[in-house]
Amino acid sequence: MSDYAVSLLVRIGVEAFVALSAYLLLVIGRVSFGQQAFFVIGGYAAGIATALYGAPLAVGIMVGAVAAGVAGALLSAVMAPVGGIYFAAGSLAFGELVRVALLSFHYQVPVGADLTGPAGADGFRGVRALFTGGVSATAFMLAVAGLVALTFLAIALLLRSRWGEAMRMVGEDETASASLGVRVRRVAALTMAGAGALAGLGGGLFVHYVTYIEPGHSDVMLGVHSLAYAFIGGLGTPLGPIIGVALDIGLLESFRFLAGYRMIVFGGLVMGLLVVRPRGLLDEVAVHRLSRLVAWGRR
Amino acid sequence: MVDFLQALVDGVMLGATYSLLGLGFTLIFGVLRRLNLAFGPTILVGIYAGSHVGLAWPGALWAVVAATVVAAILCGIYVERCSFRALARQAPVVSMISTFAVWMQLQELVSLFEASRTMPYPSPAWLPALTVGPILLRSDALLMWSGATAIMLALFVLLYRTRFGTAVRAVADSSEAAALMGVNVSIIGAAAFLLASTVGGLAGVLIAQSQQQVTPYFGLWATVKGLTAMLLGGAGSLPGAVAGGVILGVVETQTLWHFGGQWRDLASFALLFLVIALSPRARSEPTL
Repeated sequence: MSDYAVSLLVRIGVEAFVALSAYLLLVIGRVSFGQQAFFVIGGYAAGIATALYGAPLAVGIMVGAVAAGVAGALLSAVMAPVGGIYFAAGSLAFGELVRVALLSFHYQVPVGADLTGPAGADGFRGVRALFTGGVSATAFMLAVAGLVALTFLAIALLLRSRWGEAMRMVGEDETASASLGVRVRRVAALTMAGAGALAGLGGGLFVHYVTYIEPGHSDVMLGVHSLAYAFIGGLGTPLGPIIGVALDIGLLESFRFLAGYRMIVFGGLVMGLLVVRPRGLLDEVAVHRLSRLVAWGRR
Repeated sequence: MVDFLQALVDGVMLGATYSLLGLGFTLIFGVLRRLNLAFGPTILVGIYAGSHVGLAWPGALWAVVAATVVAAILCGIYVERCSFRALARQAPVVSMISTFAVWMQLQELVSLFEASRTMPYPSPAWLPALTVGPILLRSDALLMWSGATAIMLALFVLLYRTRFGTAVRAVADSSEAAALMGVNVSIIGAAAFLLASTVGGLAGVLIAQSQQQVTPYFGLWATVKGLTAMLLGGAGSLPGAVAGGVILGVVETQTLWHFGGQWRDLASFALLFLVIALSPRARSEPTL
């Protein structure tokens, strides 16, 4: 497989985590513009663990996910009861706060001959665990793909469980679900922590693949794109956001011949898609029909 | 003390344009209950159109203003058709995602027609600066404030003193009740959109003549400032949006003056975050 194809697949995999993170929050009826913050928190924490403290690659990436999950839990203390447009704006403000705060975050430690670590606006360079550990790009790509598949399965199972039921109830109507004994705040808080951890996992993988992360990676555009992915691919299944990412990055790459008109064409496609299928390609109805088809095939 | 006063005056002048952006957001959100993320990018297209006209006919300031406002209105009509009218029966969040798709289109449109990343924007250089005691009033800031105030006054007369304005406010209050009283809700929605685009285009003129240049990042910047101004004043309230814009402007210039440029954005986002965290209203807004 060419280097280019590998890098494309890693990009799809990494962004799939942020898209799944935004999707989890959509399930409980929260529109977040701020998942990029957890992506960057995970990236910084994972990079600090491996590059500054010599943690193994897998441990470092876990540290990133846990740090972003904790950040999500902390944020939920404030934001769990907030809904609607206020949640969207609050998460946007949080994402920008993280970006601006990282601009003045200096934490450098001598590693070998020179200083390594986050250096404010200059970003965090030299996260080389992937290369010092001798992991090839193809092996890393396969690991990312495996993690995306595992995450998809975990979320699909979660949504089928009683917990998933509670999450969907909160997404439909908070007052009604509270009256039926669902602890709305707890569901929202745990979902926010889980969504943070997912985006952080993506950030940890990203920083090790490109060896570099900077405050600018906490870009509102990343957060809004990840939201849009769920609406392109479909809200009926966690496969939807993953398909959305693959479509976006894949289509954009195949639109190269359109040069300056790529975004105009792509934006038009998304707009048209939303008119025809307002809940994405794989909406609840499509998922139901597909699962009946599979069940019929088995008989 | 003089520093504080100077920053306060600068903040009020800057904040007046934030108020305009906030009013544009509020008009759309209040009437349609949907968020228009493409509001900033529509103004961006307007400013670029104005900038090109300014380069082609130097000195024709009225043509620059007209081009800016007309282009912003045309983009506004496009957004209304594609993301609001076509999706009127869908959940509000679908409109919001659709406006994001339009945003990507408008951003690319702008980069198709620009020679360089930063475009110049003409400003009326003949206006004098004023000094009141120790306070300096820059001519571009003065124009920004007086222009914004005049537009706001006209807008409030239109919304609070005419039949049309009463209809707009009735729809914003409850579209069902307004429809039962014989108000044509869909026409009022489109009219509010046009009005918001006009206000946005005029705000774009005032901001661009003060900065004298424009970059493609203006779209994101204007959307964030407008959204913040609207939310600081309580989403949906017109006087609230004016107050929210002025508060945002003053907080920005005060932090800029006392702590330096890198804290300016931190302060405005921290303010927005705090207001949302502490506001009881944020806890009773169920759906988007």
